[in-house]
Amino acid sequence: MKTKILITLFLLSIGVTAQIDRSKQPKPGPAPKITLQVPQEFVLDNGMKILVVENHKLPRVSYNLTIDNAPITEGDKAGTSSLLGAMLGNGTTNIPKDDFNEEIDFLGASLSFGSESAFARTLSKYSERILELMADAAINPLLTEEEFQKEKDKLIEGLKTQEKSVDAVASRVGGALSYGTKHPYGEFVTEETVNNVTLENVNAFYQKYFNPNNAYLVIVGDIDFKTIKEQVENYFGKWEKSIEVSTNVPTANPNVQYTQINFVDMPNAVQSNISLTNNVELKMNDPDYHSVLIANKILGGGFNSYLNMNLREEHGYTYGARSNVGADKYASRFSTGTAVRNAVTDSAVVQVLKEINRIKNEYVTDKALANAKAKYVGDFVLALERPQTIAQYALNIKLKDLPEDFYATYLEKINAVTKEDVKRVANTYFKAENARIIVVGKGSDVLTNLEKTGIPIKYFDKYANPVEKPEFTKPVPSGVTAQSVINKYITAIGGKDNAMAVNTVHSSADVTIEGAPFAPKADIKQMVPNKESMEMSVEGMGVLMKQKFNGETGYIEQQGQKMPMEGEILDNQKSKITLFPELYYDDSFKLSLESLTTIDGNDVYKVKIEKDGKTTFKYYNAETGLLARIEKTVTIGENETTSVVDYSKYSPVKGVQFPYHQIIKSGPQTIIFNITNVLVNEGVSDEDFN
Amino acid sequence: MKKSLFSLAAFVLAGLTVSAQEVKFEEYDLDNGMHVILHQDNTAPVVTISVMYHVGAKDENPERTGFAHFFEHLLFEGTENIERGEWFTIVSSNGGSNNANTTQDRTYYYEVFPSNNVELGLWMESERLLHPIINQIGVDTQNEVVKEEKRLRVDNQPYGRFIENVNLNMFNKHPYKGTTIGKLSHLDAATLEEFQAFNKKFYIPNNAVLVVAGDIDVPLVKKMIQDYFGPIPRGKDIVRKFPKEDPITETIRAKAYDPNIQIPAVVAAYRTPSFKDRDSYVLNMISNYLSSGKSSKLYKKLVDEKKMALQVGAFNISQEDYGVYVLFGLPLGETSLDGIIAEIDEEVVKIQNELISEKDYQKLQNKFENQFVNSNSSISGIANSLARYYMLYDDVNLINNEIDIYRSITKEEIQAVAKKYLNPNQRLILEYLPKKDD
Repeated sequence: MKTKILITLFLLSIGVTAQIDRSKQPKPGPAPKITLQVPQEFVLDNGMKILVVENHKLPRVSYNLTIDNAPITEGDKAGTSSLLGAMLGNGTTNIPKDDFNEEIDFLGASLSFGSESAFARTLSKYSERILELMADAAINPLLTEEEFQKEKDKLIEGLKTQEKSVDAVASRVGGALSYGTKHPYGEFVTEETVNNVTLENVNAFYQKYFNPNNAYLVIVGDIDFKTIKEQVENYFGKWEKSIEVSTNVPTANPNVQYTQINFVDMPNAVQSNISLTNNVELKMNDPDYHSVLIANKILGGGFNSYLNMNLREEHGYTYGARSNVGADKYASRFSTGTAVRNAVTDSAVVQVLKEINRIKNEYVTDKALANAKAKYVGDFVLALERPQTIAQYALNIKLKDLPEDFYATYLEKINAVTKEDVKRVANTYFKAENARIIVVGKGSDVLTNLEKTGIPIKYFDKYANPVEKPEFTKPVPSGVTAQSVINKYITAIGGKDNAMAVNTVHSSADVTIEGAPFAPKADIKQMVPNKESMEMSVEGMGVLMKQKFNGETGYIEQQGQKMPMEGEILDNQKSKITLFPELYYDDSFKLSLESLTTIDGNDVYKVKIEKDGKTTFKYYNAETGLLARIEKTVTIGENETTSVVDYSKYSPVKGVQFPYHQIIKSGPQTIIFNITNVLVNEGVSDEDFN
Repeated sequence: MKKSLFSLAAFVLAGLTVSAQEVKFEEYDLDNGMHVILHQDNTAPVVTISVMYHVGAKDENPERTGFAHFFEHLLFEGTENIERGEWFTIVSSNGGSNNANTTQDRTYYYEVFPSNNVELGLWMESERLLHPIINQIGVDTQNEVVKEEKRLRVDNQPYGRFIENVNLNMFNKHPYKGTTIGKLSHLDAATLEEFQAFNKKFYIPNNAVLVVAGDIDVPLVKKMIQDYFGPIPRGKDIVRKFPKEDPITETIRAKAYDPNIQIPAVVAAYRTPSFKDRDSYVLNMISNYLSSGKSSKLYKKLVDEKKMALQVGAFNISQEDYGVYVLFGLPLGETSLDGIIAEIDEEVVKIQNELISEKDYQKLQNKFENQFVNSNSSISGIANSLARYYMLYDDVNLINNEIDIYRSITKEEIQAVAKKYLNPNQRLILEYLPKKDD
């Protein structure tokens, strides 16, 4: 058996100079020779594979058991595996729990289990007994109802300790949104799912997945191969092989179609946790793997990476900023991560995007590329100090389907990466244009500025469920009432007399319908008290849509099909006051001042208007007095639709202020009106509404 | 089961003399007072170069807290021959890793390199000591970074202010009452001259120990050390005088609030002597007896059997002048904080009133032996231990014979130390509570 591989180091090597000149950085000495030891191996009849690395430097031994199952989805019983992991290693059907734990502690050793793994460390003089205890605990676990209840209580209580942790929430939401909550890497444990788990579920999990078929035991330390082989055969040989489990790993969520902020509000946060992430198709045996490692190293793989030098050293926004790319067999993400103070959350988002775009659009310098490679060479050498490294490498080759010479050729491949490779893989894997920027922070401090970045924001709760934008209210100054807000509005638009003098309005607008391939023009006419007409046309296609109401009847005509207004729609239209309804608020309108909140960074008063059992919310800019938003929920048949109309860019015509920019959001649809011209009391007649 | 344990005890007694590999080292002083320790181990082509300075948070002007830790940032900004921002690039582009950390007692800097870069590491550390650049731009940048470090590690972390509140209540006069990260307002108020003065006072060769450990050629490295560190001028000797604390004679009760938690914690904390004191070693054993491992007294009773606590623990914050012995618990379900303290007390009283069993004593010895073997498992860990034992314990040989101290501690001593320090009138009871949303 070939047990050692000699590796060529790609380190600079120049002889040592005799006289020192401290103004010059010393040159490295001759590159050290390194050898990569190869573990010895054997296989048991039950399928368990054993890797042994002898290392006698210290009188100690470690055992590392890994069961290589595909990732498992637990669904509404998420937590089953955590519970199994917590229960394993607490006694066996042969040794009561207290005696078992007492003996491990007595030997000064440690033994711990996961749901598909185990780890033990001991002085070499007790290594056989610890191996025996580990095997007994793995093969004959003591899974009792009492222990189950106890671990369940602890797990639930443990979840509570993380409830207000910004980092814990960021990590949970990041996985859930990226992979989807149906994916094993995206699902998470909650009090509810833990409560769904029974002892039978835990037992079933153990029976199905904790088997020698795909088990690897890695033994490192002060042991002799021949002796340990006999011991392993003796203690693990009786572990019975089980039927192969076939697991279907669900597909991860696709990446989002456009860059977006996914915001989670945590009022206790003093820093925002920001991570930009997209899923990647990358495996360790892909030809791109080494190039991606280098690209990531330069972008955010260390202290002197683009991200850290920008966010920490140049701007002082953060203690650190990093990036990471996974190369898992089943699903992986690219992600950047940083935690910044609330006040610079928006700026940090902008800088993160800037650095990702930099590595995608500009070649890295030769120096940066050489430095990144040198760091990989160094890390490779430094890691060899630990005998576990050799075992880990050998295990990776098996678990991740790598070629046998993966580590022997590792440095060679790292060294072959070019700046063209870096740019290419940055564009393939760092998908800023399809990324979620997950921000977990204190909304009342950070949202106003985040909105100003212009990046669309979607809101989620701490468990990754979509929610409405959280509302942050401020104390209403004394003396402000719903009526005073309305009065201020009337004054702001030009005063009652000017507004009352408006009889008709004729507006022309450029319309953008989100998702539509064409940009129509709209011709809108209004006449007091409630007449309305809108025609939308596209150049070369004629009139697309007509909507008319003459005070009594109305219709909607689309692509030649004419539908009369009926029922609720007609009633709504009849009772509506088209122009400046605020002028007509009397006792039949119930007005109440809800709160002082913000829209797009501006303070606004939210006024609730109730009439005939219908509720509308209107938001008035606290400073200018002008109307900023109307929000109402319309029920048509069984469908409830909330429509939100935002008004901005006010400009006067005949002494009255009109909003030249309107964004209408109704259900999933967004329509933007950019008004190009407004005529008051000109060119509108009754016939226009028929 | 009984049978196997019995035979095991015999085995333990027979096997007790097995020892970890001895760490061989060589030490000497440079003419400027800098102490040097070399440890050669050629098994892997790796070298650690480290310098420990005897300056920590306790050495600060009480109106300028946070300085010692701030220097741990500032001294990466550059030197007369290393441009600002280049430090980390030089290290990583030569395949190395580096970091630094600060405690109440000392500041530690280190680089780990493939062994052909030992000279580079020595050059960098000598540059840092001889002529670092301390200017306003570096101060301003690192001030922001340190603020973020505090937000990250303290303000945004569940239980992040736990130790801080213990120390605040345990010390009245001694600077251990403050935190290593210090008060941000002090850093904001500090002038450039104050930073430069701090550097001149503490960053001197006669206040430092240099360790070079790993795959080295000893005569060659000695020459390099002389070349790079020899010419650095000696500084003015540092006089240290810290106020002594009055003994605690009545229980101190305090509360602290944390907005990042839902489950409260309760702490009983006792003031203990310096880590150099033999009693401190005994207290380490008591911590282990109470809370290390599933069979330990507190874990077994409170977490496992009575299900009163989610977590329970004991640890000894060991420091140069005083220590703090901390017992804590996080209640499970309806358990009250006082209920946890009462249960913890019951176990402490048992140690005070009766000798621990022979089996428990043997268990402790085995655990400390295991700890000892593992403590010398990496070159960088050995370098750190050598520096620490020299600078703070005045005895480098502890790296090989600290285990003998533990071996020599008797059951009677454990009882006596518990009686001496762990009494209700000598302690703080801190309730660490969730802060309700405003």
